[in-house]
Amino acid sequence: MSDAFVQLSDVTLMYGKSVAVPDLNLSIREGELICLLGPSGCGKTTTMRAIAGLLDPASGSIHIDGRDVTRVPANKRGIGLVFQSYALFPHLNAFENVAFGLRLQKLPEAEIRERTEAGLATVGLKGYDKRKPAEMSGGQQQRLALARSLVMKPKVLLLDEPLSNLDARLRLEMRTELQRVQKETGVTMVFVTHDQAEALALADRIVLMKEGKIEQLGTPADLYARPETAFAAEFMGFENIFRVEGSKVVTDSGTLELGFAPASPLLAWRPDGVSVGSGPHQGRVLATSFAGAHREYVLDTPLGPVKADAAIELPEVAIGETLAFDLPEATARPLSA
Amino acid sequence: MNTSSRLLANWVILGLTLTFLIGPFLIIILAGASDTSYLAFPPEGLTLRWYLKVFTVESFRASFLLSMALAVFGTLAALLLGVPAAYALNRYALPGAETVRTVVAAPIIVPGIIVGLALLRYLVVPTGVTVTLALFMAHTALVLPYAVRVVSSSMHNLRADMEEAAVLLGCSRFQAFTKVVLPNIRGGVLAAFILGFVTSFNQVPVSLFLSGPGVRTLPIDMLAYMEITFDPSVAALSALLAFMSLAIVFVAERLLGFSRYV
Amino acid sequence: MFRNTREGLALALPAAIFSTLLFLVPVGILLSEAFRFEGGWSLQGYIDFFATPLNRTVFLRTLKLGALVAGTAAVIGYAAAFCIVNLGPRARGTVFGMVVLPLMISPVARTYAWIVILGRTGIVNEAITGLGLSDTPLRLLFTETAVFLGLLQLFLPLMIISLVSAMENIPRDVIPAARVLGASWLAVFFKVILPLTKEGLVIGGTLVFTGSLTAYITPAILGGSKVLMLETLLYQRVNVSNDFVSASVIAMILIVMSFSANLLLKKIASARS
Repeated sequence: MSDAFVQLSDVTLMYGKSVAVPDLNLSIREGELICLLGPSGCGKTTTMRAIAGLLDPASGSIHIDGRDVTRVPANKRGIGLVFQSYALFPHLNAFENVAFGLRLQKLPEAEIRERTEAGLATVGLKGYDKRKPAEMSGGQQQRLALARSLVMKPKVLLLDEPLSNLDARLRLEMRTELQRVQKETGVTMVFVTHDQAEALALADRIVLMKEGKIEQLGTPADLYARPETAFAAEFMGFENIFRVEGSKVVTDSGTLELGFAPASPLLAWRPDGVSVGSGPHQGRVLATSFAGAHREYVLDTPLGPVKADAAIELPEVAIGETLAFDLPEATARPLSA
Repeated sequence: MNTSSRLLANWVILGLTLTFLIGPFLIIILAGASDTSYLAFPPEGLTLRWYLKVFTVESFRASFLLSMALAVFGTLAALLLGVPAAYALNRYALPGAETVRTVVAAPIIVPGIIVGLALLRYLVVPTGVTVTLALFMAHTALVLPYAVRVVSSSMHNLRADMEEAAVLLGCSRFQAFTKVVLPNIRGGVLAAFILGFVTSFNQVPVSLFLSGPGVRTLPIDMLAYMEITFDPSVAALSALLAFMSLAIVFVAERLLGFSRYV
Repeated sequence: MFRNTREGLALALPAAIFSTLLFLVPVGILLSEAFRFEGGWSLQGYIDFFATPLNRTVFLRTLKLGALVAGTAAVIGYAAAFCIVNLGPRARGTVFGMVVLPLMISPVARTYAWIVILGRTGIVNEAITGLGLSDTPLRLLFTETAVFLGLLQLFLPLMIISLVSAMENIPRDVIPAARVLGASWLAVFFKVILPLTKEGLVIGGTLVFTGSLTAYITPAILGGSKVLMLETLLYQRVNVSNDFVSASVIAMILIVMSFSANLLLKKIASARS
């Protein structure tokens, strides 16, 4: 673990008497953008708060840049956090929001001015110094919160669902913005989200969490192509997940013969991994929708509903009619139980 | 009913109600200006002498100063106790928070006259605490529930993560409070001060038993004065007090939209 | 970060301790006095209190006036609140402000006005003698009517405020919808407005009722010793006859009433959220 910049060792986090995160081990490399991904309540925000020092671990230790910070209070840790709500100071204008931390360090006025203006410029808010947060749009508030953390030159910058309050277009814009800022500043970023598309697009590595534990850790490409559990597969868009019995897949509603005998207890297919138009099985079309590059079908099969994407060149099959399909071995992803 | 007659009916009802609520003040203002040595309305002749006399009555001057001091310092003390309590009740998951809330709100529920009597009998008499000090403490306690309630409601919309942000930027917990929380609840604290001041200044029942030689709040002094003298000076003083309250509330409303805190 | 209970208690406890020592303890001792009798505990204080005809009269009169004031305030309050809600936003703010303002003014000043109105040389008597309806001025002060009017003027704003905020929550088109469906205005009131503003009515009613019950200044100035109410009776018992047992009984009655009203309000408030 020599390359670990942030190291969490056997960290247990409690809320009152209930354990939110048991025995977590995680190392983060310097300069990487790591994403904590998972549904709400999975412990990702809790973990982030522990790194920031807003929550003391019940046991275990946290090291940052080689130093044990487990007992170092939040205001002495040198960590930046961009809150989901931005947590801007409503009584201060943009300039003073960004200068807030610098002023606490009692830096010379000229340096405060210079660094604050540079910070505002970095996030594209040049000329907005005098605006109060309430007079800024959601995207601008987001940039302001980012600038406020960045000017402190934090060792680690934590971001708690920073894009969740923005509309779809702004969200895409801010994604590239965040990547640009990270490349420019080289700051180590820990990004918390429940949106897998966001995680896949942004992260160097993804930590998928479930019920306080790490379910799987890997690069986006890794996680996307090779989820290891049903939970990971579901999160990565494998919408058809079935139990395996011999050479059959099984659900509570019925079975289907595969024609091959997998070794894993579970198999999963993405909708685009299900072949449609030909195959040994028949399904009745329950729903169909046009999705640009392909057509999405929900088929009623002996297994229950199966989601399948058909190439747009294939003629549309109406609801109620039957469609041939196959669950091919080539696109099947074996999962552990 | 057509629209115009409905509108008329609307204003007639409102006019009557407002006359009932506000009319008495107009009557008092004029009654205080009556050029008679007894109370008369409509006033017989107009004079300002009763309005001027109010300022020369020694006991009024003393009791006005006492009421002023009680209202200012009692409210300040209540804020000193109430702001931290309101903060704690909003920010911490305290065991027994409900009990704390109930205890702090008790002064609103218990009629003032009982509090005054209880303090006289079980604080002033046995411990020899001066009546003035007992009055001060009683007024502090009386204002405390308002202080906690008004400050709480202005703190309610203040998200805790703002303080966390301040701490991560290097503030101590105390600095986070003074640099981030306090500037944002300033309006609420001011509103609480004004509400507390008015409540304390106008308060009668608590002070009823807590009076001694030379120690009387202004409203109590007025009650005593009107029992022996029947001249229009009490009307004049009442009118002046009404103006004072109105001026305070008006300025407060202009400055900070006072009414949204009450 | 905010889970440090000790820190939270350190901030909240001074206020709680202050209130406990200054309120709960002395008031508790005062309340216990009526139960102490010849060195032991008994209900004798209460039995004696209610055995006295004057005390019974005052007790019933206080309840009666409280109920009358609350009832009248409700009737006027509904009319006024309905009119206020129907105003445009600007006029509404002004009128509402005029309703609230009296609450900020000294109750002594507010009550004193009624002496000017109802006194021997007051406006009503001037009118009566002036019109030749009576040769001698009528005794209007120190009557239940005077106390009633004083209390009504004092507490009506509380009822109007409660009802206005209740009516503001009535969905916009409900009343026109009821009218279109053929309801008379009377039916609209009883079948639509009343059920939808029930909470506001209970809140306003409780505030006015307990306010009237525990008012001191108004009965003292306008009722005097002729029309005693519980608070003025308490004052008399203590100051004139040094009778702390009666004072303790009256205190208990007032606190029980005030406390149950507060519980009721809390229940309504929590049922709503």
